[in-house]
Amino acid sequence: MNIKQSIVLRLRLVFIGISLFGFAIVYKIIRIQYIESEKWEEIAVNNLYDLREIQPTRGNIFSSDGSLLATSIPFYKVCFDPTKADKQVFSKGIDSLALLLSRYFKDKSTAEYKRKIIDARKKHKQYIVLSATPINYQGKKQMTSWPIFREGRMKGGVMFEKIDKRFRPFSFLARRTIGFVNEDNKGAGIEYSFNHILAGKNGKAWFRKMSGGNWRPIHDEDEVTPIDGLDIVTTIDINIQDVAESSLLNHLTKHDADYGCVVLMEVATGEIKAIANLGRVNTGVYTEDNNYALGNAGLSEPGSTFKLASVMALLEETDIQLSDSIETGMGEYDFYDRTMRDSKPGGYGTLTLQQAFEKSSNIAISKKVNEYFGAKPEKFIEYIEKFGLTQPLSFQMEGVAKPFVKSPKSKHWSGTTLPWMSIGYEVSLTPLQTLTFYNAIANNGKMVRPLIVKETRVADQVLDTYATDVVIDKICSDETLEKVKQMLVGVVDNGTAKNIHTEYYKIGGKTGTAQKLVQQIYTKSYYTSFVGFFPAEKPKYSCIVIIDNPKGFQNYGADVAAPVFKEVADKIFATDLSIHPTVVPVPMPRLEVFPKIGGGFFDECQYLCNALKIPNHTAPSATGDFVTATIENQTIVWQDRSIKKGVVPNVSGLRLRDALYILENIGMRVKYLGTGRVVEQSILPQQPYTKGQIITITLK
Amino acid sequence: MFRSDEYNFKQIDWISVLLYLLFVMIGWFNIYAVSYDPELDNSIFDFSINSGKQLLWIGGALILIISVLVIDYKFYTAFSYIIYVAALLLLIVTIFAGTDVNGSKSWLDLGFIRVQPAEFAKFGTALVLARYLSEQQFIVNRQQWVVSVILITIPAILILAQKETGVALVFSAFILVIYREGMTSLILLFGVYAAILFVLTLGVGEFPVLIGVGVMYGIILLYFYLNRRRFYKNVFLRQIITTIVFFVLSVGFVKGVHYMFHQFLQEHQRNRIMVLFDTERDLRGKGYHVRQSKVAIGSGDLFGKGYKQGTQTKFDFVPEQSTDFIFCTIGEEHGWVGSTIVIILYSLFMMRLVFLADRQKDKFSRVYGYSVVCIILFHFLVNIGMTIGLFPVIGIPLPFFSYGGSSLWSFTLLLFVFLKLDAQRVHVLAGH
Repeated sequence: MNIKQSIVLRLRLVFIGISLFGFAIVYKIIRIQYIESEKWEEIAVNNLYDLREIQPTRGNIFSSDGSLLATSIPFYKVCFDPTKADKQVFSKGIDSLALLLSRYFKDKSTAEYKRKIIDARKKHKQYIVLSATPINYQGKKQMTSWPIFREGRMKGGVMFEKIDKRFRPFSFLARRTIGFVNEDNKGAGIEYSFNHILAGKNGKAWFRKMSGGNWRPIHDEDEVTPIDGLDIVTTIDINIQDVAESSLLNHLTKHDADYGCVVLMEVATGEIKAIANLGRVNTGVYTEDNNYALGNAGLSEPGSTFKLASVMALLEETDIQLSDSIETGMGEYDFYDRTMRDSKPGGYGTLTLQQAFEKSSNIAISKKVNEYFGAKPEKFIEYIEKFGLTQPLSFQMEGVAKPFVKSPKSKHWSGTTLPWMSIGYEVSLTPLQTLTFYNAIANNGKMVRPLIVKETRVADQVLDTYATDVVIDKICSDETLEKVKQMLVGVVDNGTAKNIHTEYYKIGGKTGTAQKLVQQIYTKSYYTSFVGFFPAEKPKYSCIVIIDNPKGFQNYGADVAAPVFKEVADKIFATDLSIHPTVVPVPMPRLEVFPKIGGGFFDECQYLCNALKIPNHTAPSATGDFVTATIENQTIVWQDRSIKKGVVPNVSGLRLRDALYILENIGMRVKYLGTGRVVEQSILPQQPYTKGQIITITLK
Repeated sequence: MFRSDEYNFKQIDWISVLLYLLFVMIGWFNIYAVSYDPELDNSIFDFSINSGKQLLWIGGALILIISVLVIDYKFYTAFSYIIYVAALLLLIVTIFAGTDVNGSKSWLDLGFIRVQPAEFAKFGTALVLARYLSEQQFIVNRQQWVVSVILITIPAILILAQKETGVALVFSAFILVIYREGMTSLILLFGVYAAILFVLTLGVGEFPVLIGVGVMYGIILLYFYLNRRRFYKNVFLRQIITTIVFFVLSVGFVKGVHYMFHQFLQEHQRNRIMVLFDTERDLRGKGYHVRQSKVAIGSGDLFGKGYKQGTQTKFDFVPEQSTDFIFCTIGEEHGWVGSTIVIILYSLFMMRLVFLADRQKDKFSRVYGYSVVCIILFHFLVNIGMTIGLFPVIGIPLPFFSYGGSSLWSFTLLLFVFLKLDAQRVHVLAGH
């Protein structure tokens, strides 16, 4: 085979290969476009139509006082069927319509809008989108009065297609609690937990694809109308929420803390009136990023606030008295290999049980608990269980953290677990759980489930209400209740939280300062809290304040968390009359009060008094134009304001006009300050003066 | 330097030029049909839509053509290595400085314009291949074709590194050129054999292919055995051993197909291959591109829906409608008649180029000519093949038709350098 033959052969081989592929293409095209064309055409038509879901309007979330916390705001896409309007209406209105559209959207000139609409009408196009920017309701209202548009949908051809956007009028307030739902139906807070109620039911309708990727609804009988979501009324009081959130923010910023939360609950009903959660993003910048009050992020060792449970267990189990004394020594006490310390350097010495609680002595409480329950720790756990602290609250919202309480059967249970647990370590609770427990004390032992959503509504019609749910009827005996209340009030009156004591109402509560466990070592960073109720005589609200990891020299619950509690409580006390002691009104005698009349131009003064029917008469000596008023026996007596030559007259009590008149008449130059009546003059009355001398008068 | 200018325009192959202009015009009108929005009613010259921009590229291409015709033909021979190296450097720069577009880093953003160096690398490679092979005598020997293969592999690998698998595959078209110049047929045969095994294994399944391979080699062995007396003993033994080695290699290859398939290809690439075997599998995902493209072409029927009347290509159903899937628009709006006319014209164009390449007396021009033919042919067959579901979707444009400056300019450059060389063929001989 010579070279030429070889090349020809090669070319042929390649040619055959390529031709085969070429034939395959030709065959395939014939197959697609001729043999299978019907099938593809059908798909092509189907591609243009789609049975699509129609979104219902999402329900609103209200606060208990009727403020909107979250709502869907409708926006509208302006679509237009330019063939609907009849010739006369169209030709008359098109110019002004194009002008108005151009002015409103500012995206095209008047001429462009006009051309677009006229072209579409010429081509019998029944659907054009006038602008990609959706308009709000005001815009829609405005547009319905425009020429052609005002003829309505059938005669004018305008269509407003609704698009909903979620909006929180109080933006920041309780943001995490109100929550959100994203496109994948994931989310948090009330929006997520009550999504099944808020969301409503999707409708369905056929849509046709239009150019530019728009879908236009085709109205026919197959349409399923969407069912709108229900409204939800929460227990949140927007005013209290505002106070709680801003007070928390101030104190978080002051202490440069990591995060904090405030929950305020109505004692009898468990209704949450305020729930604020703030986490630090940067120094001084906080945001509602996590639901610390009830979620996993807020699960923590409670510290001293847990001592309430320990003392209650002691009171229930034993015959220990509040006045029984406990030796706490020099502030250090060893349980096996661990040393328990009190916060006071040098220790508290001997304390009664009540003092121990009020001063929050770790040694006293743990020593007593260990003394009575050391041999039977399961009994202690039984009490904790009875107090409702081991079971998760089946709260209305998703994402509630489970409390963690060690069991004596657990392998992690050691000889020091019980004493440390008695002062709030080696257990984990959410702030909401602790609050629910304290709320039960305030509620005479009845533990109620916290409530955040009260009712569902359609407009004003209430559909469903969520009643207060009693978890435990009585968590302890009445005697115990009486004693612990007394101690809790003692904490604020004499104990660790003395700084928030107030004369006006009584607060019962407990401070908490827990050292934080970081990598199995208790560090110098703290978890501070204050939980309690007010007014203690007849508790109406309970409240917990958590501030995590405050920096600086103040890091005790009393200094950091308690002031927030006080601010919230003060605000509520100042505005909620129902918690004030009833005041019996004493009828006041009605007194005739004379209007303040200093003096002035006689005729005017007399005219004024006569017109107002104020008895007045003129003293016999009054002869000049100017008078001063004196009151004698419920009557005004006009006294002469004598102006003697050569000396400065008394102008005090006069208005500026009269004073000027008098002083300038005698040749003085006047400077004046202020408005009202003359209270001071720079040259005293009856002093000699020279013409042109300056006198300064002060008016008030 | 320009002494041969007067011959340029007389000698140039006007048939190719006219076909080129025709394709560019058809492409332009179809790009307009795709980007035309009846609501906006833009004109074809509207620079905010693709047809307006394409007009700019076309204008640029015309300037390019004039420059190519004016520059002396010896420039391309003399500078082929430099152009090649420059193209490689540009490719390397692009790997690091490229802009991310749809997951590949093959675009260089020059601020006022975005270019795809991979497109121009084809031109450089064609030049260097022509230069290298033209320096050899007669048929290339093994060392020479190995060097040639390396010359085309380097840019292909650099382009692969930019994640532009489709463009990299285009470089395999050069193999045919080397083959034409004397590379052994075995390489090509092995390639075809491996490709057939690969496709069959994926399409029919591993087991039937293994049986088929077994039967085939069984027959070959049987043949050798029956004819054993016609061979020397050592020849016979060698044949038997070779057959067995091939059998084992084939089985290993078939067994490895799924491993390679999952190891070396990315998921979207796998899907694009699997979808060829079963388009109905998944309407929204993997099969979507090809299916929508088939819907568009198929709904065109015999005569099409009419110019600018396509619904599938226009309403965003077909992806990349004005670049890689431009053939869909032709199919939908002009039907079977339209698409067939385009294919016939294209075939004529290719035949004309083959004729031109074959008439070159100078080896440089001939090799270059065949390179141009192979590249354009590869693009043409694969692009149409992928729009109708015959070939996996690899994003390569339809030369002269598709929207885009880089592709239009690079094909224009490729073609007109060849037409310039062709126009000078008399001088080329005289010069030598």
